[in-house]
Amino acid sequence: MSEHDALRSSGAVERVSERFYSGVWGVLVRWMRVPKEPPTLPVPEGEEVLAIHPSLGFLRYLKFWFWLVLFLTDVVFVALWVALIGAIPWAGFVTTPLWLAIIIVPDIVAYVAIHLRYDTTWYVLSNRSIRIRRGVWIIREISLTYENVQNVRVSQGPLQRYFGIAKLQVETAGSGGSAGAHGGGGSASNVGLIEGIDHAEELRDLIMARVRASRSAGLGDEHAGYLSHDQQGMWTPEHLAALREIRDLALAR
Amino acid sequence: MSELDVSPTSFDPRAITRPDDKLLTYYVLMSVLTLVAFPITFTVFYIRFKTLRYRIDDEGVSMSVGLLFKKEVLLTYRRIQDIHVERNLIHRWLGLAKVSLQTASGASGAEMTLEGILDPEALRDFLYTKMRGARGETEHAVAADDAQALKPADEALQLLHEIRDAMTVQHGQAS
Repeated sequence: MSEHDALRSSGAVERVSERFYSGVWGVLVRWMRVPKEPPTLPVPEGEEVLAIHPSLGFLRYLKFWFWLVLFLTDVVFVALWVALIGAIPWAGFVTTPLWLAIIIVPDIVAYVAIHLRYDTTWYVLSNRSIRIRRGVWIIREISLTYENVQNVRVSQGPLQRYFGIAKLQVETAGSGGSAGAHGGGGSASNVGLIEGIDHAEELRDLIMARVRASRSAGLGDEHAGYLSHDQQGMWTPEHLAALREIRDLALAR
Repeated sequence: MSELDVSPTSFDPRAITRPDDKLLTYYVLMSVLTLVAFPITFTVFYIRFKTLRYRIDDEGVSMSVGLLFKKEVLLTYRRIQDIHVERNLIHRWLGLAKVSLQTASGASGAEMTLEGILDPEALRDFLYTKMRGARGETEHAVAADDAQALKPADEALQLLHEIRDAMTVQHGQAS
């Protein structure tokens, strides 16, 4: 399935890591009740629902940060270790397993976490709405209709441009909370955060076309029909004719 | 508005009037996590659990909670801006979920948080189909409203005709 797309199996290391990763997924699905299948959206018959992960560029983007942070932290730890060996050689050698654990274990965890984050992020798009799911410990899902969208924000940094991805924030008038709409998701709960996609412009145009087509303010407004009655008037010629007859009868008395 | 039978399954949202009993289990677990403060937190949670009431009808959703300080929130389907479903690890183990509804009010959090929902997908999809713009119902809705709004005018016409007829009769009698 798609979560294995990211890990292209070629060598022995890849095969082992793939086995390991599918084992992690087995635990997640079985013991942590993480749904493996994408969320669905109720749509009229015949309409397609698009369920996608972020683009693979997003995975590469996350891994770039992973290697950067790994390099910087491990340089510090190795330097500390070497310093300890230099100062108290026996202590440095005795604590070797500890140092190796400090240097290696968090990296594996973080690397797996990146893949899990990627594989548990689902963007489900229909012609009318978006549903977004993300999270492993806490799984959050947001559903919103394009009709309620207030604005769309597309942002892309230089590094994201290099990886060919962009971040799309779809905002409704829902209660926003703190303005800090940052990656973790959930801080600004009225924002549908669609990060790491490679066709942000298409999606932006699709949503904005919807927003423009709608005459309402996206606030659950009632239909414009109510207003137009007052404007066009309630009295038809028939009414007026009947009223004239009444007037004439009244005058004749 | 007889659109309640939208979902293909036999899910009846009106049956949801209370959180599921598993929510009490969840509250117990959460209270245990507070260690020494267990009696206090559990009392608070227990009262909350016992007083939580949901009402999902043709027009909207309402919930009330509280014993000493009562709180009640009411909202209509069309004002819902977005729907959130949140499940942490313990929720998932118990099969529970938290469904939050947001309207366009200025509050910082969700306007309404339905805790202890056992069948979140069905409820969520039900609410979703009731949301504005979820289906192409806008045109039909306008037409229906037009017909409704025109009715009083026709009644006025009929009334005028009746007055005219009555006056004709009266006029005939008088002369």
